[in-house]
Amino acid sequence: MGTLNRCLRSGRVMVGLGMILIVLVCALFAPFLAPSDPNEQDLLSILLPPAWMAGGDSAFPLGTDSLGRDELSRLIYGARTAMTVAVVASLGAMAIGSILAHLAGYFGGVVDWIIGRVVDVWMSFPPVILSLILMVGLGTGLDKVILAIILVDWTRFCRVLRSEVLVVRQRDYVAAARLIGFSHWRTITREVFPATLPLLITLVSLEMGIAVVVEAILSFVGLGVGANQPAWGQMIADARQHIYDSAGGLFFPILAIFLAVTGFNLLGDGLRRTLDVRLINAREQ
Amino acid sequence: MTDILSVRDLGVSAMIGGTPVPVIRGLSFDLPVGKILGLVGESGAGKSMVGRAIAQLLPPGFAISSGACLFEGADLVRMAAEARRALLGREIAFIPQSPQTALNPLLTVGQQFDEQLRHAGAASRRERRERALAMLAAVHLSDPEQLLRKYPHQLSGGMCQRVLIAMAFSSNPRLVVADEPTTALDVTIQVRILHLIAEMQQRFQTALIFITHDLRLASRICDEIMVMYAGSPVEIGPGRDVFSAPAHPYTRCLELADPATAHGQRALFLLPEQMPGLLALARMSGCHFAPRCPNVADACRNTRPVLTSVREGHSAACLRLSATSDITTAEVRAGSAVVSSEKPLLRVEGLSKRYAAMGGMFLGRSEVTAVRNVDFSIAENEFVALVGESGSGKSTIAKLLVGLEQPSSGRIVIDGRDAAGPSRQAHALRIATMQMIFQDPQSALNPRRRIASIVTQAMEAGSRHVSAEDRVQRTRELLVEVGMSPELATRYPPQLSGGQRQRVNIARALGARARLLIADEIVSGLDVSVQAQLLNLLFRLRAELGFAMLFISHDLSVVRYLCGRVLTMYRGEIVEQGKTVEVFANPQHPYTRTLLAAVPPADAAVAWTALDAAP
Repeated sequence: MGTLNRCLRSGRVMVGLGMILIVLVCALFAPFLAPSDPNEQDLLSILLPPAWMAGGDSAFPLGTDSLGRDELSRLIYGARTAMTVAVVASLGAMAIGSILAHLAGYFGGVVDWIIGRVVDVWMSFPPVILSLILMVGLGTGLDKVILAIILVDWTRFCRVLRSEVLVVRQRDYVAAARLIGFSHWRTITREVFPATLPLLITLVSLEMGIAVVVEAILSFVGLGVGANQPAWGQMIADARQHIYDSAGGLFFPILAIFLAVTGFNLLGDGLRRTLDVRLINAREQ
Repeated sequence: MTDILSVRDLGVSAMIGGTPVPVIRGLSFDLPVGKILGLVGESGAGKSMVGRAIAQLLPPGFAISSGACLFEGADLVRMAAEARRALLGREIAFIPQSPQTALNPLLTVGQQFDEQLRHAGAASRRERRERALAMLAAVHLSDPEQLLRKYPHQLSGGMCQRVLIAMAFSSNPRLVVADEPTTALDVTIQVRILHLIAEMQQRFQTALIFITHDLRLASRICDEIMVMYAGSPVEIGPGRDVFSAPAHPYTRCLELADPATAHGQRALFLLPEQMPGLLALARMSGCHFAPRCPNVADACRNTRPVLTSVREGHSAACLRLSATSDITTAEVRAGSAVVSSEKPLLRVEGLSKRYAAMGGMFLGRSEVTAVRNVDFSIAENEFVALVGESGSGKSTIAKLLVGLEQPSSGRIVIDGRDAAGPSRQAHALRIATMQMIFQDPQSALNPRRRIASIVTQAMEAGSRHVSAEDRVQRTRELLVEVGMSPELATRYPPQLSGGQRQRVNIARALGARARLLIADEIVSGLDVSVQAQLLNLLFRLRAELGFAMLFISHDLSVVRYLCGRVLTMYRGEIVEQGKTVEVFANPQHPYTRTLLAAVPPADAAVAWTALDAAP
């Protein structure tokens, strides 16, 4: 019924997609876009302001950090880190969370009780502390950051999706599928899952924004990706020490995080509005 | 006699795609003091819109385009909003369709009653309280003091409706509009509520507009009936005459489609297709009923008929009024030739279902018995009815049979093999034999699947791969069998009408090659013409394919028409069973008698004693 069409006509979806596309292009084509190597140090030109300001150097369009590394190049390569984490971590969290949510909501009873209690206990840890502890245990690195986010955030999917599964489960067509001879697996994949998919897509989009923030926090405290991989959180941590000498170093990575997170949030909100059948019906009546 | 309400040439239009399309056209009637006017029509006829137009509560996009509603001489349409608000709820009161949603769940009955009376102008708190107590007593609710402190969810549907009736009449209104006030209630409650409305109307000498889809019911309590079709009045006349001697072909068709008038012998009249959409109606230049009318002539397609008098106080809008009484149906009903064999297909022995009830931690476990020790059997090709009020355990039996719930004790035997319990063999046996047709097709059909995919869903179930051509072929067969155009195969359920959805529902069960259908209230909530189509369809399919059915229903007219045997359920037990003809002619159990008495008789000459005697 023209779901794609509705998405394309939604302002939020289009603006959100546009913002994410900018970050995504930076991430994909970083080697072509970046003017220099992001890890190359030039100790003679440290803490330079952006090129258009007094004392700027045209070789470093957005200036340099405390080790003389090019801000712009680090920003562009940082997008790579951010987007990898956003995509892989949220898909991973979605996979675990939604599988458990479908099992809990569909079978109910003991299964639901066990999964529900695990989620309860899991969610009672403060998420940032939990991921910090995990990072200490796992060590730094891109894959570790992704794993930590998955292990912390699957509960978010599980909780929200479970209630949606419960609603769909009440529908007579789910009972009808069982009565017509569908196995439990087939009933879940063919009858329940298509109904929860819109919510799932929305949640993934919002989770990507969260993953970007969490990755930045972990990098900020030095427990994120390795030191030789540029990340926005690291850039903020570096610039924080020289905040009075050169504020520019702080401004650009924050702007990048803002762009990515706002983009994902707008997209998620827009998708929720366009994919939610209830909202569509309310509007058409 | 003075008229409380005079509606003159009322027109309502809806905005569709930026252009106004008429929804109600040329509606005129006079309602004198203390009389009841019935507005009768199928869904989409615009009857509820009339009530909303009087209240000026039209849905967004709808507007009154012409005419006047004169309430005691003052035009409600052109009145200042301030003056109208003063009338509504005080001089004009409403009784809604679904009583439980009409009351605010967060406020007690007392608070809501008080609010209503304050709006109606009762001065002191004590005065309001006394009035509320008096009104609750007047609608025969016991212990009104206690009732005022209760919340709506603590009351049954029938009690809620009584409270709403008490509220509606509490301000001594001059006019009451009741929109399907009994549709959502059990039949036995229905007759009591009708009696109550009539009693209150008599006592307060109120004029009443009674909106309903049930012509037979309306003929019993209304002084005058207006039959509406596609937004226009097609017939208006005295209540009894309109039902027993209809002048308009549409009314005649409705009467012949009512299973109660068939007396188990005659086939039901089948109105073809369905009411055209609003846009199609707007484009039509002739009579709106012409495309479905059995008496249609060439002139009907070009000339729009006006209401013309047939006798004193009775008029109808038709060009060929004299031909109306010629509309008849075949004497023999379709598919009645099937003889049920004596070999039982399904046997149920001592079936019980108990649920653990919520108790306090130290109160121990208590149990609620939903179904107690039930025995019955169904033969091949036999249609058996299961009747009873809501909460009697009818639906629980259906769930136990198909395995959606597991029995606490008892046996379910299919073809001599045990089919109860969660074992794989029992599950496979149930699936191979039985299919359930659900009550609400909107919930029973996955809105994300195409019709073709739904009706052939059974082919997806096995592990064997089924080719796309096979499915297309089978879809075509099934849709033709249930009387639908194969072109609908690519549609989605929300794009179909209620009757079509129920056909898809049946087609899916047939697609699984079921020998026993468990049908849970499958025709309730459907218009009488659609209901007739489905009942005849079931007969025809049984003759062609052969299957038995357990038909769960509260509508005894339908049961009498469709089923050879009937089981009466009361509080979880089967209290009476036997051949439908015998049980209905000579009911043994008092509850069966109550159920039968709650049905308005089809013969206008027979008095409906239950209505006059109801408490």
